[in-house]
Parts: sequence; structure tokens; C-alpha cells
Amino acid sequence: MTENKKYWKGEEDLVRDPSFIHSAKNEFSEGLPLEEVLSEDDFELSSNRRDFLKMFGFSVTAVALAACNKAPVRKAIPYLVKPNDVTPGVPNYYSSTCGYTGMPIEVKVREGRPIKVDGNGRCATFGGALSVAGQAGIFDLYDNERIKKPLRKGVDSDWATVDKEITTLLTKISAANGRIALVSNSIHSPSTLAVIEDLKTKYPTVEHINYDPISYHGLIEGNNLSFGKSVIPSYHFDKAKVIVSFGADFLGDWLTAEKFTKDYTSKRMPGDDMSQHIHFESNMSLTGSNADIRYPMQNKNQGMLLISLYNEIAKVTGSKQMAVAGQADVAGQGVSKTAKALIAAKGNSLVVCGSNNPQYQVIVNAINMALGNYASTININNPVNLYTGNDETFNSFVTDLTAGKIDGVLFYGANPVYSHPNGAQIKKALKSNVKLSVSSSISLDETSNSCQFVTPDHHYLESWCDYQPVGSTFTLGQPTISPVFDTRQMQESLLTWAGAIDAYSENTMKDNGIYGQEHSVSPFYNYIKSKWSVTDKEFNTYLHDGFVIKDTPTISVPGMIANTDEIASEIEKSKSAADGIEITLIEKTGMLGGVLSNNPLVQELPDPISKVTWHNYIALSKMNAVRLGINDNDVVNITVGETKMVLPAIVQPGQANGTASIHLGFGRTVAGKVAKGRGENAYALIQAGAKFNSYVVNGAKVEKTSTGETYELARTQTHHHIEGRDIVRETTLEDYKKDNRAGNRYEKPELVSLWYDHDYRKAGAPNHLWGMAIDMNKCTGCAACIVSCSIENNVPVVGEVEVRRRREMHWLRIDRYFTFNNVKDVNYKEELDAVSKMVPENFEPKKLTREKALEAIDRKLAKDENAGYEHFENVSVVHQPMMCQHCGSAPCETVCPVLATTHSTEGLNQMTYNRCIGTKYCGNNCPYKVRRFNWFRYNDNSAFDFHFSNDLGKMVINPDVTVRTRGVMEKCSFCVQRIQSAKLTAKRENRSLEDGDVKTACQKACPADAIVFGDLHDKESEVTKLFHNERGFAVLEELNVKPSVRYMTKVRNI
Amino acid sequence: MLKTLSLIFILSFSFTPVIAQENAENGKALFETNCVSCHKLDKPSIGPKLRKIRSKYEDEWLLKWIKNNVEFRKSGDERAITTYEENNQAAMNIFANLTDADVLDILAYTDTEPEVAEGPAVSSEPTFFNNYTKYLLMIVALVLLITFLILFRIFKELRTLRRKQEAEANGVTYEQAAQSWWSKNKEKFIIVNPTITVLAGVTGFAALIFVPWFFWFGINKVGVQQGYAPEQPIAYSHKLHAGELGIDCQYCHSTASYSKSASIPSLNTCMNCHKGVQGTEADGDNINPEIAKIYAALDYNPEGKPGEQYGPNRKAVKWVRIHNLPDLAYFNHSQHVKVGGLQCQECHGPIQDMEKVYQFSSLQMGWCIDCHRSKKIDVENNNYYEKLHASVKKKLNSVDSAEYKKQYFKDGKIVITPSMNGGLECAKCHY
Repeated sequence: MTENKKYWKGEEDLVRDPSFIHSAKNEFSEGLPLEEVLSEDDFELSSNRRDFLKMFGFSVTAVALAACNKAPVRKAIPYLVKPNDVTPGVPNYYSSTCGYTGMPIEVKVREGRPIKVDGNGRCATFGGALSVAGQAGIFDLYDNERIKKPLRKGVDSDWATVDKEITTLLTKISAANGRIALVSNSIHSPSTLAVIEDLKTKYPTVEHINYDPISYHGLIEGNNLSFGKSVIPSYHFDKAKVIVSFGADFLGDWLTAEKFTKDYTSKRMPGDDMSQHIHFESNMSLTGSNADIRYPMQNKNQGMLLISLYNEIAKVTGSKQMAVAGQADVAGQGVSKTAKALIAAKGNSLVVCGSNNPQYQVIVNAINMALGNYASTININNPVNLYTGNDETFNSFVTDLTAGKIDGVLFYGANPVYSHPNGAQIKKALKSNVKLSVSSSISLDETSNSCQFVTPDHHYLESWCDYQPVGSTFTLGQPTISPVFDTRQMQESLLTWAGAIDAYSENTMKDNGIYGQEHSVSPFYNYIKSKWSVTDKEFNTYLHDGFVIKDTPTISVPGMIANTDEIASEIEKSKSAADGIEITLIEKTGMLGGVLSNNPLVQELPDPISKVTWHNYIALSKMNAVRLGINDNDVVNITVGETKMVLPAIVQPGQANGTASIHLGFGRTVAGKVAKGRGENAYALIQAGAKFNSYVVNGAKVEKTSTGETYELARTQTHHHIEGRDIVRETTLEDYKKDNRAGNRYEKPELVSLWYDHDYRKAGAPNHLWGMAIDMNKCTGCAACIVSCSIENNVPVVGEVEVRRRREMHWLRIDRYFTFNNVKDVNYKEELDAVSKMVPENFEPKKLTREKALEAIDRKLAKDENAGYEHFENVSVVHQPMMCQHCGSAPCETVCPVLATTHSTEGLNQMTYNRCIGTKYCGNNCPYKVRRFNWFRYNDNSAFDFHFSNDLGKMVINPDVTVRTRGVMEKCSFCVQRIQSAKLTAKRENRSLEDGDVKTACQKACPADAIVFGDLHDKESEVTKLFHNERGFAVLEELNVKPSVRYMTKVRNI
Repeated sequence: MLKTLSLIFILSFSFTPVIAQENAENGKALFETNCVSCHKLDKPSIGPKLRKIRSKYEDEWLLKWIKNNVEFRKSGDERAITTYEENNQAAMNIFANLTDADVLDILAYTDTEPEVAEGPAVSSEPTFFNNYTKYLLMIVALVLLITFLILFRIFKELRTLRRKQEAEANGVTYEQAAQSWWSKNKEKFIIVNPTITVLAGVTGFAALIFVPWFFWFGINKVGVQQGYAPEQPIAYSHKLHAGELGIDCQYCHSTASYSKSASIPSLNTCMNCHKGVQGTEADGDNINPEIAKIYAALDYNPEGKPGEQYGPNRKAVKWVRIHNLPDLAYFNHSQHVKVGGLQCQECHGPIQDMEKVYQFSSLQMGWCIDCHRSKKIDVENNNYYEKLHASVKKKLNSVDSAEYKKQYFKDGKIVITPSMNGGLECAKCHY
């Protein structure tokens, strides 16, 4: 299949834009500013000798002075009374639960400070998966812009004052029978819910409202309408043979996406058991980019498409069809083909839908019922509790608040002033209508800024908590650091205000030990223990494990109670007839709809599809962009009804024609310096309806600004370009079954090496030989590995301006390639013939390579105005993680003039920062473009005011890895610090190193288990087996640089 | 003649006291009984330091001062009064009991050269001087000088050659051309002031030697703190604890065998003994002031209930870090102590003899490498090295290579040094 495919990274790559070619030719986009210097007026070449002497004299003096300087006196301060379980220099690992994503985690703690968070692999419910947000959330603990003490009317106060005033006001309001609303993000902690009940007991007028900025109301309400159960069921992607998704980005941000990724990829091994994934969507999502078959659709047709799909299935199964007038389908008979595939996998399929419209979800439920999926892939008895927000309740709360019917509001983590379309009204009401407003946000946000009191909450890594993310699974959160600031857990605040805190303040850890260590015991810890009512021993076991799995409720098929005919006809009637562009509001990976927008790691993480960093934008389809005369980076006016917005635009291959998409989470007005004023707040576009909030906006007008303004988005998509070489390999399942080498049968060039092969590379050598295998069939491009790598290896954040200049420092990147799908009118064979005929007789070599010819055809297609650019919506995507390949004969090593990059006998390409003088020759000579140059000192530098530039932010630095300074090259080290540490442990324990002892940061973070690392000299190791896999190939094998990383050919189940 | 005679006379007079038999040994004994409470030889104490005091004052003056400085000052001697003022008017005792001979003996003792301590020089500041580099630098300078001269000669010959060619092209002989050029440009070369020329020449020559010398000297010694022995907040004596009492190093530095850091013990470790031991015999019933510092830091209340003996007003002890490895180098104690089986003293020197700890080794990379080249890995007793051991054994048996045997086989045993097992590779320590 790759034979008829040409891969490209972006449109400029496809059409070979001259400026792009120019910049792609060089490893570094900008040269040294020699010309500027030479053209300066007072610069004369004839004075070179003098300058030399000046420099020489200066450097000699500088060195002599440095030598005479006294070395700074450094202090070493030991513990006065050392805690028994802390050993300086040795990390401790604690089980806890991620407060952002609800996943069980393991926290790596060095000398009392957490430095890394990974998934807890022992918990079978989630399998140890942790998303970008879970990885990056640790940075928010060390954010020096957190609220440092309670605030009263925006001024620093203290807990006693604040508590007294809040309690008085609560009592007063409650006594006068005034309504008090406790607005929280969805709470799935049993003990926290119990605390809220305690508060209600004390103040009976308190009502608790769950609020999710990204709402799952449609899904919950859909299940309520269908089965009378307001729940989100558990989905089992590992049991589904055919997966159909209507706009649900279940590998990206939808529900427990990290867990779904684990399940989904477990069924992606090519073979009879491989699942098929069909995806309908308007924007190109991460999930869509992984689909076997992807049908672009406009969301306004979604309802009708679902009904048609139901009817197609009903036709075959012989059940009653829904009575609607029309039929709907997408190009290529998507619906009928999907119906066929689903029926073939009846009872083992799964249909999911990302819409927030409850009626759509009812139809989806009906489809799943018809297919018998409630007996296999969907368990409605084991609900997901992560999201419980109800749009109707919240919208009526906003109405009441605006009408002055509510006297007191307590915000627990929620930030609706920012993330609700009626945020401005909420803000106004908070200022004028209420007698009491309290917010517990960690750092100042739009909502807390409008409240009388701010009672700052702990970060989750400072808190005790229990959770119930899924019906059957309870997890525990324990603090891994003493509170950094004078903050207090919101549960304790609520207990204090409920007057119940004294009952739990007893220090239950009486056993202080002989050293007189003080254990301060959190009242909420006592509270949780009292609610769990288990023995200390049992509780400590749970705490050690981090989770308890109760019996999973058995699957049972619920009874459908909804009148589907009625709903179908309502859907048909309500179909939007609005002209203009349809905008879908989507999540930015890892930003959790704005919760983590002040996190520099998340901001700098390239979007998996568009590869844009640091800003949001409107993604348009090529067809619409051409018609509107819009190019990449053009600033456009977006008008939806009364709401106006100005954003830069990009042309996104895969974006369905007639649609556009915008990321949520940007445009914060009150936030830390990283987030503030960055991009636009797209929540303003959400249409808050009576029944649900719609994330799809119809009838938008998009036009270029009259001034023709542009905004250069910091986009990494074509950085590190690899010149259209044969980098990715792909085949179909059908071909793979016939030939396991399908798609990977390339004429191997004769490999002649200049070098003798080293002894340590030969089989049977006693040393380790490290290697990595990456399965492109499993890799979804979710980017959790990039974040994990950055945290583990102290990779600096460089900021928007530097990313624009192609200076991002990520050691690991994910290359994303597009390729046109079934371009209808192109007969590749004819075209190829035509192109070959164009070659002049005397052209040497006489034959154009197939690759070059394909490139020419694609270029023609890309520029073909007659085709109307419609084919740009139908592309498929390949993700390829790319990091240092640790070549056996590395081109970088031979060009280093100072031997700063050398090879080890364990097959590692070593980078010695203290030797590097920054010639950048190695970066120039690297065929994979994976070396990064430190242009600036990114720590203690006000120009890069991110976490490395303040003392608190620096606490996250991994003490086992050097913080690089400016002027040196750096790159992936295969996590050599982990290798060395695992080897040392083995030596100390007097045993040999086992397979799996060393896990690189990217491997540990990968929810898809796509990365395998190990010793190639160990015949039994997993990586050795994968190196002999028939799907395996090395990128640019023909260069014979002998990379230590092998990729597995992607197999699509078409 | 008169001149000569008077010179002899003066000389003989001035040398008379010196010729008298001085006994430095006796001087030392006298110094230690009489002077040491206020004076030290090499360091100012209550009074000024006394080494080479004779270079500052003549014996006659010193005799008067030492025996009765009060009287001496009263006599109106100007220098005596200034000396008194200079030393903060700290009155010196009167030593009327000392004879002139005794005083001269003491002065003789102050004239002795300082004893050279065994081991590296101890200082409270980082030092950066050693002879080896000095000689090396001189050689380098010499080589540079010779190279310069050769190059100069070559350059001169080439120039002459070119001028000859030019002259021939102009149809005159080289000598003629040279002469006419000289007569034209003579003025420029007239030496204005020979002294300046000579001075410039000497300065230039000195610069040629010393600039590279300083450069090399500088870069080689930046950050090297061998011999560094700072004052510590608590005058803890390793000599007493590790040497005389023979406490095992790892009793206090307990993490050395399983952590990267050997770690300075927390004060509760000290308290394991010092709850009981409160001073030496010399302290009598008093708590030794250094031990009292521990109690103060922990806010220790011996009367308190068990578990509550350390009070709330604790204060951290800020030790001065002696061994400062740069951040770019990774060093792990457990690797060397537990796996390598090294004794602490191999890197830290005779720690059991140190009253005050100093940095024994240079901690430069060359020093690390030396060890990695010479120490033996215990491949036989550590299962981690099973594969390596087996492979070398197999090869020794099968390969009939004297070279190989010489490398891996010494004194009937397989010898594998870290360097043979990749112990010199960059990423073993730098990452």
C-alpha cells in the first residue's frame, strides 16, 4: 500500500514551498548573524589581528582571574532528626491518585520532594496508563504563582479570620433560609461527598452542584433517557472487534482516554484478532488519525447519520426501523459499509459518540442494543464516576444566581467564570448579588478573582483523599510533600465550616518513635479512615497499593425505555439549516479545558495533529480556506451570532469540508504568566441550551481581517524535516496475512561499511547492547512520552518565540505524516506512466524513482484547482516517535572535533556536555535530526521565566541528570541514568540484570505499550524478539548507520 | 686600610651574638612553656606571629622588649610604643626570669623553617600550586620559544628570497635594492632610546613565557580544592572518633553502601552516644562546648519524656562542604563502597588521623581515571559479572594469545579493571 502513497508533514512540504525548502535544507533555521556584524560601519576586516589580540588578552586575564578566585563556600545541611524512611540520594515511591485525571499513580520522591509521576501498573482497572495531563500536573505543585495564603477581598489574610467570617455568613444565610450553592468540579471521592453531606447537615440550605467545563451531560442524560440510569458506562475497547466512533476522541481526551488507549492497542496486533476502527468526525482528532477508516462528516449531519446507521442495521437484523423521512450517508457509502462491518462483528462491536446531545446518545445506545454490545463491550453496571456534571442543573443555577435567588456560593476547584459561556453573567452576579462567595482554587483564576474569600486548596500531591473513579475501583491519594504554602485542603475547610473538624483533629499517630519526630496528622486523614472503617493494617495495605478493587458488577443488558421513534423524528426536525461554517470546540491535549493552561510543559507540547504550540487557532479545511482566501497564520474574524473572536487560522488536512475547530483552554484573563492572555477563550462560543450545552456551533462567519494581519503560530510540524525519504512503512491487514513482510519488502541496499564492526556489537559479547523497538501499530501519537521524557531529563521549556525559530528542546518528538486517501480520480498507474514519459531521453538515471514520481503526482494534486481541494479532508495519518537512534556507526560521532559525543561499549551514543564546545557539526550530520542545541541558558534567566527560573520550580529537577547550560548539544540518552541505576542495583544485589529492570521514561509513560527497551544481547528479552519481527525496519537503513531503534510497520485493518 | 679595619671591626661586632651558641631545641621548650599561650609561630594569636621575627627587629631590641616591655616603653623607645599600639594595646607579660641566652634560644627557634607536613599542604582555602605543573609549563614555554625562533628564521629567509626575485625583476641586484630601500627608510628605524628598546624586549620575552604559563596554570587549577580544610560549625574530630575510639565510618555515614551520597549523619545519630557522653575527663562536670552545640541544635531537654526530648526550637547545623564534585559528574558512593569494596581512606585519605577534615584527593578526572585503570573488579564473587567472567575465562582457555593473557591474567588470576569493562566511557559518569 505504501507503494501508492506519498507521505507529507504539512502542505508546505507537499507543494514544496520554496521558503520551506530553503529552511528545511538547514538543520538550524538561522545561521550566525555574520553578515550583520560584517556590515557594521566600524567593522574593518583589517583590524582582525588587533581584535584577536584583544580577545586573547581578555581570555588569558579572565582565566587567570578565575584561577585566583576563591571557590564559593558551599554548605551541607543534614537532617537534625532523620525520618527513618528517607535516605538522601535514594528515591522513595508512593502510591497515590492523580487529582487531575483520577488515575492511580506512583510518585517518585527524592528527599521529600516529588519529582516524577507515573501510572500505577499494579491497578488492573487502569493498567498503569497516565496521560499528558497526569504527567505534567506535577509542575503545578511547584508553581510559584500559587496562592500562598487565604485571601479576604483580594488581600492576604489568615485562616482564623477567614474561617470566622465565612462561618458567620453561612450561619446567617442558612438561618434566613437563603440558598447556598457548593459548585465543584465532578467529585468522585466518597469521603469528600460525605464531608459535603456534613456541611448540608449543618447548613440545610446548601446544595451541591457538580460542574464539568467539558461536559459529559449528553452521555449521562442519554443513558437516563434510554435506561433510566444517569451514568457513564464502562467501555471495553479490548473486547471489541469493530469500533465505530462518532466524534468521540477516545484515544485523546474523551473520558478515561489513557485507559482506552491501553485497551484499544491491546487489540491492534496484526492477525485474526485485530480490531477494526471506523471513525466519523469533523475535525482531525488524535483518535481519527489512528482510525483504519475515517469518514469526514459535518456534525450537523451526525444525528441523521446515526439514525441511518441504526436503520441499516435494523434492516439486516429485521427489527423495526426508525421512522424518518430521509436517509443520510457520507461520501463513500460510509454508513452502509460501517453497518455491514458492525453486523459482521455483532455482539463484539462498540459504537461510541462524542456528542453532548442526549438524543444522539439515545440513538447510539439503540445501535449498541441492536448489536448486542451491552452483553460484551459495555458494562452499564460499573459506571465511570469521573464526570457527573449536569448542564440543566448548572444552567438553571446560573439563571438563579443572575436573578439574585442565591445568597452564598462556594466554589470548590470549579472556574465557571472562565469556562462557562455565561461566565460574564456569573462574574457580575458574584460581585453584586451574593452575600458570600468563596473559592478554593490553587492559583488565582477568573472565578476566585471575583470572590470575597479565597481559601486556597492543597495541590493533590499535598492532600489526603480517596476516590472512586469507576464503580468497582477505589483509589487513595496520599501527600508526598509537606504543604508548600499556607494552604489547606478544601475538605478540611468544609469540615471547619461545618463545625465538625474537632472530632477528627486528634493525633492518631501517637507512636512518635524514639527520635521524637512529629507526625502532624491531617484531620481529613482521620476522616477518611473513620469513613472506611477498616483496621489500621488494612488501611495501610490499601495505602501502600494505592487502590482497592471490589468485585466488578456483572454485565447485564438493560431494558430500553426511550421512545426512539419520537427522538429520531425530533432529531430530524432539529437539524440545523444555518449557513456558514460549523465550528467544533475541542480539547487541547493535556490542558483539561483550561485547568492546566498555566503549565509550561502542556503549552509547549505540540498538538498531536496540528503540531501548534503555545496558542489556539481556528483549523479550517483546505476547501474552505481557499474559498475564503485564507492561508496559514492569517488572522481571521469569527462571528457567531453576537459573539466575535479574532484568531489565527491554519489549514488542517483532514478537517471536514464546511467545518472548523478551535481548542478550548486558552484566553485566560486571570491566571499565571504562562497562560495569561494567550489565545482566545473559545468557551464563549458554546451554546448553552436549556437541555444541554452544545460544543458544535453552527452558522459561523469566518473572514480575513481587513488589515490582512498575520500571527505566526509556533508550529513544529515541519521542523526536522527528512526530505521525503522512505521513513514510514505501512500495509493492510489483508496483505499482512498473505505476507508478514508486506509493506516492509524493500530492496535492501548493499551495506558496505567503512568501519570494522566492534566486538561489543557481535552476538555473544558479554556486555549489554541497548536497543529500542517501537510499534507504530500501537503508537497513537498521544505525546505522554514527550512529557515524561522532558520531566525525567530536565528538558527546558523554551517559549513561543524560540519554538518559532525551531529551537524547541524536546529530546523526543512525534513525527506526524499525512497521506491522501483514495483520491477518486487519480489512476496512479496512468499518472506514473505519464510522469515517466516526461523524463528527457538523456536523463540519468533514465528511470525516475517511483517515489519521485509519486511525489510529483501528489504535488500536482495539491495544486489542482479543478479538484476543488475537497480531497484534503480525506487523509490518513501515521505517527512516528523519533529520538536519538543511537547508531552503531554514528555520523555525529565522527564529526565532533572535541570528542564530546562518543560511543559506549553498551551501544549508547554518549553526549558529554562538559566537553561540548557547541560547533553543532553533529546536529548537521545527524540524518534523523534529533540533536538539540542549547541556544540560551534556560535556567535562572528572566527571558525564559518558566519553572527553571525560580527556586520553587527547580524543585522538580531530577537530581540525577545534569541541567545543561547554553552552548551545548543535547539529545536522547536512552535514559542512561536509569540504566546505570538498574545496573548498580543488580550489582548490589549480586544478581544479573533482568529484562525489564531498565524502563526508559518514554516506555514507562506509554499507555499503548508501543515502546520496548532492553538488552539486545539477551536472547530472551522482549526487545530482541521484536528486532527479529518481520514487521521491523530501521529508518534510513540504507545509510548503514546501524540504528539501535527499530520500528514495526503499521498495519491498517481496511 | 683604615676602611678595611673598621669594616672588620664592625662586622666582628655585629656577629658576636650570633656566634654565641644558640640552642633552638632549648628555645622550643622555652617557647612552649612561656610564649605559646599568646603567640603562635605561623599565625597571629593574641599576640603577633613570631616566625622570623628577627627579620623585623634586631636582637638587642627584642631582648629588652621580651624581658620587660613595660620598662622599655617607659624608657620612651618609639618603636616599643608603636608596637604596643599596633597590637591593640594588649599588654605582654614581663619575663624577667629569662636570661639573655634563653631569649636568644627562643629567637633561634623562631628562626627555624616550618616543618613540612606529611601529605598535602593543609590550608583553609583552596590552593592551586604544584611543582609538577611548573616544570611542565617551563618545558612548554621553551618549546614555544624554539618554535617561534624557527618560524621567524623561515619567515626571514622567505622574505629575502622574495625580495631577491623582486629586485631581479626590476633589473637590479638584491644588495642594491636593499641599500636603496635602507637609505629611504633609515629614519624610521633609528633607535630613539636604547633603554626603552631593551625594556620592551625583556617585557616581550617575559610575556611570551608567562602568558601561556598563567593560562595553563589557571585552567588547570580552577575549582580544585585539594587540601581544603575549612572551619566547621562543630569542631568534630575524626581523629578522636574514627581513630582513637575506632567507630566504624558507616556507623555515622550509614548511607554510603546503598546510596549515591555517603551523607553527613543527622544529629540524632550523634545522640545515640552523646546522650550519655557529655565530655572528656578534661571537661570535668561541664558539658563539652562542642557537644553542647549538638544539644542546642536539637533543643535537647534531657528531662523530657522519651520521644519528646527534642524541643521545637531546633536549628540546622550548616556544615561547610569540603568535597565538591561538579554537577556534571555523577558519583555514587554505593558503587564504590559496596560493589567496588573500596575503603573510605582510599579516596578520603587518613581520615582517622584528621583532627580537622581536609580534602585529601584532588577529585580531578585524571585522579578518577587512574583508579579506574588500576583497581580490580570482583568478577568472581558478583553474579552481575557472570557473563563477563565466563567470557574472559573461555577466551583465556581457547585463545592462545600471549597478548590477551598478559592483559587479563595476572598472578594466576583473572584481572579485569573497570577500564576494561567500559569504565572510562563518558556516560558512565557524565549524564
